[in-house]
Amino acid sequence: MQPALTVSGLGKLYKLYDSPRARLRALITGRDTHRPHWVLNDVSFSLERGHCLGVIGVNGAGKSTLLKLIAGTLQPTTGRIERGGSGRVNAILELGAGFHPDFTGRENLRFAGALIGISVAELSQLENSIIAFAELEEAIDRPVKTYSSGMTVRLAFSLATAVEPDILIIDEALAVGDQHFQKKCVERIDAFRRNGCTILFCSHSQYHIRQLCDAALWLDAGHARLLGPVEMVLAAYESHVRRLDAQRATPGSPAQQRAASPAPLDPSRRASIRSVEIMPLGDGDPPLLLGDSLSVRVTAVTSQDERPHMMVMLELTSGPGITVVATHVDGVAPKRDPDGAWSATVTFPELPLHSGDYIVSAYLFDSQGIVLYDEWLHYARFLYMSPARLPGLVSLKHSWS
Amino acid sequence: MQSLAKEITDLWNARALLALMAVRDLKARHAGSAFGIAWLYVQPLLTIAAYFLVFDIVFKLRLGEGAPTRAVGAYLVVGMVPWLAFSDAVARGMNSLIDAGALLQKNPMPPVLFPARAVLSSAVVFLPLIVVLVPIYAPLHGFSAALLMLVPLMALAIITWCLLAYVFAILAAALRDVTQLVTFFLGVGVYLSPVLFPPNMFPAAMAWVLWLNPMTPTILGSQSIMLKGEVPGAEVWLAMVIWPVVLAVFLDRLISRSREQLIDWL
Repeated sequence: MQPALTVSGLGKLYKLYDSPRARLRALITGRDTHRPHWVLNDVSFSLERGHCLGVIGVNGAGKSTLLKLIAGTLQPTTGRIERGGSGRVNAILELGAGFHPDFTGRENLRFAGALIGISVAELSQLENSIIAFAELEEAIDRPVKTYSSGMTVRLAFSLATAVEPDILIIDEALAVGDQHFQKKCVERIDAFRRNGCTILFCSHSQYHIRQLCDAALWLDAGHARLLGPVEMVLAAYESHVRRLDAQRATPGSPAQQRAASPAPLDPSRRASIRSVEIMPLGDGDPPLLLGDSLSVRVTAVTSQDERPHMMVMLELTSGPGITVVATHVDGVAPKRDPDGAWSATVTFPELPLHSGDYIVSAYLFDSQGIVLYDEWLHYARFLYMSPARLPGLVSLKHSWS
Repeated sequence: MQSLAKEITDLWNARALLALMAVRDLKARHAGSAFGIAWLYVQPLLTIAAYFLVFDIVFKLRLGEGAPTRAVGAYLVVGMVPWLAFSDAVARGMNSLIDAGALLQKNPMPPVLFPARAVLSSAVVFLPLIVVLVPIYAPLHGFSAALLMLVPLMALAIITWCLLAYVFAILAAALRDVTQLVTFFLGVGVYLSPVLFPPNMFPAAMAWVLWLNPMTPTILGSQSIMLKGEVPGAEVWLAMVIWPVVLAVFLDRLISRSREQLIDWL
């Protein structure tokens, strides 16, 4: 089968001039005096229909440039981009960029639709479903300047995904509107993928990349550093980032830097973590874990009786991550407390860890484990004293013979 | 001329979008006002009426020998309407790419749409005014068949405006100071054209300067047609063709040098 998208030897050169005047001179005389700067260099990959590629990398690695080149807003310096099939490409790069504040939502739909290739006739058929998805029936005939920012992005997302494309490009746009709408967005994108739409997805959320993508591409300073299965690429990327962090952190204080204070409870959020408790803890700062088993209890509140999912991450405070466990992965449902809150407790018996300073993070997800509602990153620290006398990270089950 | 040819193909393929953009641009200028789109026409109509009233009715100013007409107001209006159209089209076209920066960076669309839209919407406002002037002037020469020559004259003029607007738009994207310079020249350009004075009033040694103004042939042509009912002379048509050819060659170079980078400059 012909791939839906083939990128070969793609490169983008930015010409840096000493001043805009030098730029104008080069433009008029044709004598170039620029310094070359490759933001993307020799990137190649191909994607099958229905596959989803996650693009990761630190800021400035060339992620947005790659997506813009494939979307067609930027012209490549070298290389080719071939799109199979009818090749309809939709890019969600910035929502609502084509809207005029003085025009009503309906008038803006007509123009912004034409920008992404939806004709006026096609739009009049789609209009009602677009407005319904954006939940803007009341406001659609009011000028867009009276909309809240959430309403504007809802309308823009609804329009951008009104027609199912062959290739969908998403740049960090999953965080749209409130939690309820975010969930609808993720569901719609997931449905596209199941229907065979090819997706390119750039995000800093490793969780979403794991959930949505089949493969990941790690860009580093414009080069494709690694391309392959999501877990392999993310693991390599994470250890790279951790090394960078370790180099940057001043010796002696990494623990303080990583042990951030708990995320403030945002009252406008409809679902949030209420508490994260580590048991059983003794005294000290950080406190000492008593005994040889660790329990972490996460309590959260949600709206509308939604049963959430919870995830707990355990890391060395200044070192690598140890493990991540999640209720939706283990097929466990959090329990309802008498006061309406949800809670789940994970217990690690006979903790196979070596002595060290550990830190726990907690995450709250929707009922499908897709939308991230809340996270308490690096919330609770504890010390663990292991009976093991030799150095190491974990005590693996082992046998001698 | 490959680069320019590709832009023209792109423009043709996106003509439905271009029309939509022009209508939206015109609506947006007076969105929220009670008269809305009517203001686009009322403003220049009032200016024209003021010229007639002040120069021809109140002060009864007269031009000397060698002018295509004696009435100053009638003379002024015939040149001023194309000049206003030109200056509006070029000024808007020049800023069109810079203004569209956010849109162009987020949507895959040909940049040429924006200067073309600016010129198109200026033409939609000013061409009807020229049509309105025809029955006012025609009795001067008894509806001469030369009036038909307004069609090729204005068509060539609009092509020139498009090319010039796109040239300035690209230059302004490279260096913002271009907009200041061009705005200045659009301001003083009217004095270096036959809009206010017939060419024979210019010092003979300076007459060549007039032909550096891309609007001189259009204005001479429309004066000849509207005031005298005569087909414009060969020098007018020659200049009307040379300007777009020279601009097209220059624009083609600019596009091929800037294509890859243009969006990044906005």
